[in-house]
Amino acid sequence: MAFGKSILGDLKAIVGEANVLTSAADLAAYSYDGSSSWQSIPGAVVFPSKVEHIAATLELLNRHGTPVTVRGAGTCLSGGPISPPGGVVLCMTRMNRIVELDREDFTVKVEPGVVLHDLNRELAKHRLFFPPDPQSFLAATIGGCVAEGAGGPYAVKYGVFKHYLLGMTVVLASGAILELGGNTMKNVTGYDLPQLICGSEGTLAVIAQVTLRLLPLPEARCTVLAIFNDVRQAGKAVHRIRASGVVPAKIELMDNWMLRRIEELSPLGLPLDAAAILLFEMDGSAASVAPETQEVIRLCQEAGAIQARASEDAKDAERLWGARRAAFSAVFGSAPTVFAEDVTVPVSKIPDLIDRIAEIRKRYDVSIVLVGHAGDGNLHPSVLTDKSNAEHCGRAEKAVHEIFVAALALGGAISGEHGIGLEKRKFLKHAMQPQAIDLLRQIKSVFDPKGILNPGKIWE
Amino acid sequence: MAVGMPGVLDSESADRCMKCGFCMSMCPVYGVDHNESHVARGRNMLIRMARDGGLATDASYRDSLSACLLCGRCEAVCPAGVPSPAIAVGARSKMVRERGLGSSQRLLYRGMVKHRSAFAKLVRGLSWLPGLSNRKGAPVRHFPDVVAAFFGGMSLPRLSAPFLSRRLPQRIPPREGEIVGQVAVFTGCIFEFFLADAGSDMLLFLAELGYEVSYPHDQTCCGLPVLSGGDLDTAQAIAKRNIEIFSRYEHVVTGCASCGGHLKRYESLFGSDDPWKEKAAAFARKVEDFSEFLVKRGHLAPRRREENRRDSESAEKAGGKPRVTYHEACHIKWKQHVDEAQRKILLGIDDIDFVEMEGADSCCGLGGYFGIAHPDLRLAMLAKKVDAIRRSGADIVATSCPGCLLQIMDGLRRENLPVRAMHLAQLVRGGY
Repeated sequence: MAFGKSILGDLKAIVGEANVLTSAADLAAYSYDGSSSWQSIPGAVVFPSKVEHIAATLELLNRHGTPVTVRGAGTCLSGGPISPPGGVVLCMTRMNRIVELDREDFTVKVEPGVVLHDLNRELAKHRLFFPPDPQSFLAATIGGCVAEGAGGPYAVKYGVFKHYLLGMTVVLASGAILELGGNTMKNVTGYDLPQLICGSEGTLAVIAQVTLRLLPLPEARCTVLAIFNDVRQAGKAVHRIRASGVVPAKIELMDNWMLRRIEELSPLGLPLDAAAILLFEMDGSAASVAPETQEVIRLCQEAGAIQARASEDAKDAERLWGARRAAFSAVFGSAPTVFAEDVTVPVSKIPDLIDRIAEIRKRYDVSIVLVGHAGDGNLHPSVLTDKSNAEHCGRAEKAVHEIFVAALALGGAISGEHGIGLEKRKFLKHAMQPQAIDLLRQIKSVFDPKGILNPGKIWE
Repeated sequence: MAVGMPGVLDSESADRCMKCGFCMSMCPVYGVDHNESHVARGRNMLIRMARDGGLATDASYRDSLSACLLCGRCEAVCPAGVPSPAIAVGARSKMVRERGLGSSQRLLYRGMVKHRSAFAKLVRGLSWLPGLSNRKGAPVRHFPDVVAAFFGGMSLPRLSAPFLSRRLPQRIPPREGEIVGQVAVFTGCIFEFFLADAGSDMLLFLAELGYEVSYPHDQTCCGLPVLSGGDLDTAQAIAKRNIEIFSRYEHVVTGCASCGGHLKRYESLFGSDDPWKEKAAAFARKVEDFSEFLVKRGHLAPRRREENRRDSESAEKAGGKPRVTYHEACHIKWKQHVDEAQRKILLGIDDIDFVEMEGADSCCGLGGYFGIAHPDLRLAMLAKKVDAIRRSGADIVATSCPGCLLQIMDGLRRENLPVRAMHLAQLVRGGY
């Protein structure tokens, strides 16, 4: 699918020589994302610096029928930003301006290459806050997060990216520039096109600017650590807390494997034989955080926690969350290949899912580490394997498949926040009716008749 | 594992990179050009691909290898603790073994730096040329292009005349009173050849505090520039020599952030079966940065309260005191983790007005071999740093790395900014 020199010349004429990469090393550096199983070398990497660049690039490539894959920081975990071999990567990282911060209406307009962490650092100066927090926030770009429909631990209380999306500027495959949505909290003008683009994984249009809703920064925060000898007790604690009316900002679950890694990497004095840890973050006004923290501790104890305590101060809280991040990273360092899955079930079904995963672990004799957002039903079972060992990897793949089947049987979904991309497209037919998948194809063909935008993703 | 390849520099550790991208949030080079082949995540992947035969080691690959400052931020933020700077150096070293060194690098690394006395003779000879040194003659501001070629077009200050080792003896007794302790000083090449005034202030200040200061004249370059260029063999030879020379001292102090960061990691130059590894580790434990040494021994307790520190935006010139801002060297903060000591010292100096500049810890862009291979990136980063200095309204910018000082002086000259750049040792000795 290599393309001619004339296209390359035209691309350089559009964005400038310095914004087109074609050397072997540069192309290799855009051949992967955060997932561990997918890689392919693009034909060129193009960096637009304004919406007109995107429009002219798409118009050109659409004319030639050349595939275009949009990329932000490439932290995706489902293969979304990986171009077909020889295609063009349209990399948005040089479009990284915060265009307009409206402190009256709590909205912000940003270019797609703005890094989530940079946005929140800027917002904090004005005591504002953008809650959705995919754990790649240090590097992930806003455009990528919107395209993938990303979320994170804050989903329990604050929801995910799609709940903050007011409007966007997009460019269609034809090169047409469109303004979708607006600036208001409520808006039912026609189909909700921004919501359609959100989570479309770069297959419908290229996002050139987004308008997001913001919140004031919470005044106080407190973390609660609770330890359980039985995962079902942890599940019970989560349920009771949700029923009590207290809404923690985050409820994170870790299994015994994670607990042991924490004790190796950043010891917190956890009992090594405990079955599960829950980590809660409470936030809000100082007056509400203190009693809610006590209530969460009480309910955990009531559900059977062997230990439950509040963080002493901000530093202690950071230590707890830091330990969680470090242990989660250790998952990826613990095997050559890690299938980091992303299944979601109704919150009350989490203990059932955990039981099923324990059976699957035994049946296929593979290690499966469990971390998850217990408050929103989203679990990340990580299956540890090695691509170079076909026999083991085969078992691991079967285990992954069984996890999907289990999640679906419990009324869940195969991806909560990572997207389908390449990683899960062969499972789509198990999670959606054939007619619904046809509808996806038809919608795609309306937006992108020649199929140049991120081809080969989502469905087979 | 290739012959002479120490474990820690091996590409195997690149396999631990799980491509989370956290390094992209910290990398000063990626922050300028957003090219993923210029950040640890991309470079680790390229190194793995090249090792496994999936990528040619062509000019673009070498461009990626050279585009690392070795500042250490990526390693500090990496959840998996991947030693990306060492991996980059290991890959450069592999290139050097396969392709050989360029002639100018060979001359510099093998001929001069390893035998610093020979280098000194040559430079001393050059210093008699009109305009090259501050010995006498017309004040030529920029080092001639032929020498600057070594340094990627960087304008260097004139050579010190005489060099530091010609100014002070190998043993400097305490200035007065009882001996409070003994300390040996590792000066580094920049103090020796370019900033002898600052180097001299550091040595004399220690003597004034009551230390008997040992200053072995046969010490050589720390070896970082050589290692940074990928010449591991020479870097090891240099390390062995310094380890031997300082073996008879208990405390080794350096005023160079880069030298210090490297001396403290000498151990990583040697494989686990090499008897030098343990010697290097023992040596590293004796090394302290100048500021670290002072603060640990309580020589400069802060007399100003922390709250008195003012940020640059709200600051106004305080009655007649020179306003001083501080550039935090990467190798102090990210490699040695002793950045608190520097500020304690600055806050302890009563008759200066200390203001923080925005992004005090953002890199000045020097980065040794990086700056030579990528002058455009070096200058882009330097411009940001100089702008922050300008906006701080400072009269003086202080730092604790002579390398940063050269780079910042270059930037101040380019922008014609009337700000003096000084080493911390010059400040504590009252040279403002």
